[in-house]
Amino acid sequence: MKKKLKVLMIDDHPMIIEGYKNTLLGENQKEYQIKIDIASNCDDAYDRILKSSQSTPYDMLFVDIKLPPSSDGTITSGEDLAKHAKELLPKAKIIILTMHREDHRIHNILKNINPTGFLIKSDLTSSELLLAFNNIVKGKAYYSATVNDHFRKMMTNKFSLDEKNLKILYHLSRGVKTKNLPNYVSLSLSAIEKRKNQIKEMFSIAKADDQKLLEEARKRGFI
Amino acid sequence: MKFLFRKIFIFSFFYLVSCSTKNSDNSSYEVNELKFNLINEDLSKFNDRSRSINDRKDDLKKAYGVISTLPNSKLKIEKLHETSIGYYSLKDYESYKQLSRKALELSKVLFDSIEMAKSYGFLGIYYRNNELDSAYTNFNEADKIYLSLDKSKSYNSSEYAYNHGKVLIDLAKLSRKVKDYTKSEDLTIRAIKKFELADNKEESYIPLSYSNLGTVAKLLGRYDDAVYYHLKSIEYAKNTKKETLYAVLGNNNIGTVYKSQEKYKEAKEYYNKALQYKDFLVKRPKRHALLLDNLAYANFLSGDKRKSVEELFYKALRKRDSINDQVGIVTNSLHLAEYYKSIENDSLANLFAEKAKNTALQVKTNEELLRSYQLLSEISDSKTGLNYAKSYIKLNDSIVKEERKFRNKFARIKFETDEIAQQNLQISRENEILVIAILGLTALFLLGYIIFRQQQSNKELVFAQTQQEANQEIYRLLLNQQIKLEEGRQLEQKRMSEELHDGVLGRLFGVRLSLDGINQRANDGFTEARNKYIDELKSIEKEIRLISHDLGTEALPSDVAYIDAVESLISDLCDVNDINFEFNNDENIDWEHIDDQKKVNLFRILQESLQNIFKHANAKSIKINFDYIEDKINLTILDDGIGFKSEKVKKGIGLKNITSRVSQMSGVVQFLSNKDSGTIVSVSVPT
Repeated sequence: MKKKLKVLMIDDHPMIIEGYKNTLLGENQKEYQIKIDIASNCDDAYDRILKSSQSTPYDMLFVDIKLPPSSDGTITSGEDLAKHAKELLPKAKIIILTMHREDHRIHNILKNINPTGFLIKSDLTSSELLLAFNNIVKGKAYYSATVNDHFRKMMTNKFSLDEKNLKILYHLSRGVKTKNLPNYVSLSLSAIEKRKNQIKEMFSIAKADDQKLLEEARKRGFI
Repeated sequence: MKFLFRKIFIFSFFYLVSCSTKNSDNSSYEVNELKFNLINEDLSKFNDRSRSINDRKDDLKKAYGVISTLPNSKLKIEKLHETSIGYYSLKDYESYKQLSRKALELSKVLFDSIEMAKSYGFLGIYYRNNELDSAYTNFNEADKIYLSLDKSKSYNSSEYAYNHGKVLIDLAKLSRKVKDYTKSEDLTIRAIKKFELADNKEESYIPLSYSNLGTVAKLLGRYDDAVYYHLKSIEYAKNTKKETLYAVLGNNNIGTVYKSQEKYKEAKEYYNKALQYKDFLVKRPKRHALLLDNLAYANFLSGDKRKSVEELFYKALRKRDSINDQVGIVTNSLHLAEYYKSIENDSLANLFAEKAKNTALQVKTNEELLRSYQLLSEISDSKTGLNYAKSYIKLNDSIVKEERKFRNKFARIKFETDEIAQQNLQISRENEILVIAILGLTALFLLGYIIFRQQQSNKELVFAQTQQEANQEIYRLLLNQQIKLEEGRQLEQKRMSEELHDGVLGRLFGVRLSLDGINQRANDGFTEARNKYIDELKSIEKEIRLISHDLGTEALPSDVAYIDAVESLISDLCDVNDINFEFNNDENIDWEHIDDQKKVNLFRILQESLQNIFKHANAKSIKINFDYIEDKINLTILDDGIGFKSEKVKKGIGLKNITSRVSQMSGVVQFLSNKDSGTIVSVSVPT
């Protein structure tokens, strides 16, 4: 008797859904009977999650981060959706699949959602997806190599940088000047300056310039 | 202390200088001293009255000979005066006049007013007996100079008061001679004031002045005053060398005053008083005779026709005859004629009257001649009497005419000098008016010019202001355009970035995943080959992701906008002119926080410089740098053209504009150029 699995794939690109289907419906059909539902935007996804929570809940959710927001504007991304899902379907395994590989994003997602699976699309191959799927079905968490890297970096540092600090470093590395940072991070210029100095102290390179700071941050894996 | 030291130093310095000049002039100085000694020796020899008149004249001649070799100086004039006085005392009046003239000329050359006035006085004295008008002219000239000296106060007035007094008393006498008595009185009073001021009390002219006052008062009919003045004259002469002279003179004059008042008793009393100075009178027979005659005449007039009176007349006449005092003889003869007429001895009366007439004609004393004509007409028979009467009238008329002529002449001299003064005043006033007018006009012109310049500069200021505003406006528009351009570009980049990232990349990923999934299941022996392509797809994804990332990196609008504007200016102009360019902007320049005015100015300077290069330099490539060094923005524009001579082109309006813009920003500009080695324009502006 095949094990029944009810899966919701949320992605705004049908081509990607197609890819997931092509991967999962090959070998796995022998072991599992997978029923796949599809949602291409937040409204649709939320409706399905809500409905399933009242009848048969999903066992697994494939969630993309970048999604067309809900019409009422309350749900703007896969992150929001995942939060709702965790409440509505506490037993469902959530797999985040995203193009974003920036440290602060990964950091945020881990912190806010703590998904069972975390896959970076650009790293992903179909065999890895299968591996992840199999692991997760068995109750084991699975993270992409990039995510694991992030974890490792976090562990090697005796300290961790909060989201805002990471953001500051991220934008600086993109070439944004300090004085323009308030446009990107919701902090005042003086607060940003203070944080920068704190980071420098943490890196024990106080009084170094921005160039040095970025080098150090890169070395330590914050960027 | 320091000051004192300096003072001593200066003093000793001057002392040294004066010593050295003394030494250099020593020889001429000694010669002059020698000459003065010679002159003084001659003059003291001359003063020795025991020598003969001719010897003494020789002394004067010798003295004059040496004097004329002296250099011009005040001392020379004084010596000339001394010598001329010598000649006067020897009655050589011509030499006296000549030397006085020389002194006058010299004093005019030396602008020595005091000596000039003195010389005029001397000349007046020369003329005073014979040429009344010349005398009056000279005295008047002297008086004028003294008056101007009084006014200028450059000398101590007591220095020349004595000489001035003498001139005034001479003028008074001249006026009295022409019967201008009030004038004479006036001048005498002025003379007395001067004498009172004078230091020289020894040889005082005050008694003489009072005597003159008395005489004039008598002639004016103010007899009490006359007596008073004569008494004063006697009093002033007391305890001087001339005490006796003035006692005799005064008493005689008082007697005459009383005689004129027909107070014969008093008259006789005073004449007798005068006659008491017998010792004095023995030496002066002329005065003695006068007194005797006067006394006899007073006796006669009081009605005493005794023999003793007649004898007194004869006594006087004899004395006068003995010394040949012709004027006295005339008076005396007239008195005798009157006396004989009164005792009706007509033949004797006629005889004396004739004698008086003839002598008077000789000595030209008109008053007496007139009187003799009158007497003769009275005592002669009717026919000759009529002739004498006619002569009397004729003479009287001519006398009156003569006097009037002189009075007029004097008045004219006075008037002419006054007129010259008036004219001078007029001229100076006219000059003053002219000067004031010129000054006024100049001031007006200057004022007009200043106002004109002010308006001009105001206009310039307004123009500069509007230009500045226009510049700012242009810059703002330029910047706005640039910002809009940038925004549009960024928006488009962002859209592209998102499109790539979310759309293309997503689909590509989906395709790859599908392919991969299918490939896992297919077992046709091509799995490996397909895997290779799937990997290739993966690397394409990566590339697209990187591109998307780059596109998404936001350029920063405002500060990039300025540099973009600058760069597009350079590239546009260089493209048109077909010149290569290199442009570097120092990242450290915070363009966003530099004020627009500066940015516009730098922009314009760059534009101007580029125009210059394109027009004149014939350059192949240009290098433009914005550097940030020590809070200063340095703009360097370098070309490899033909260059120019810095001095030659300095006045060009282009360079002037650049210079003025730089100075507006309180910066520094340098134009470095040499022929054939290109040009460097370097501008340094504080931020």
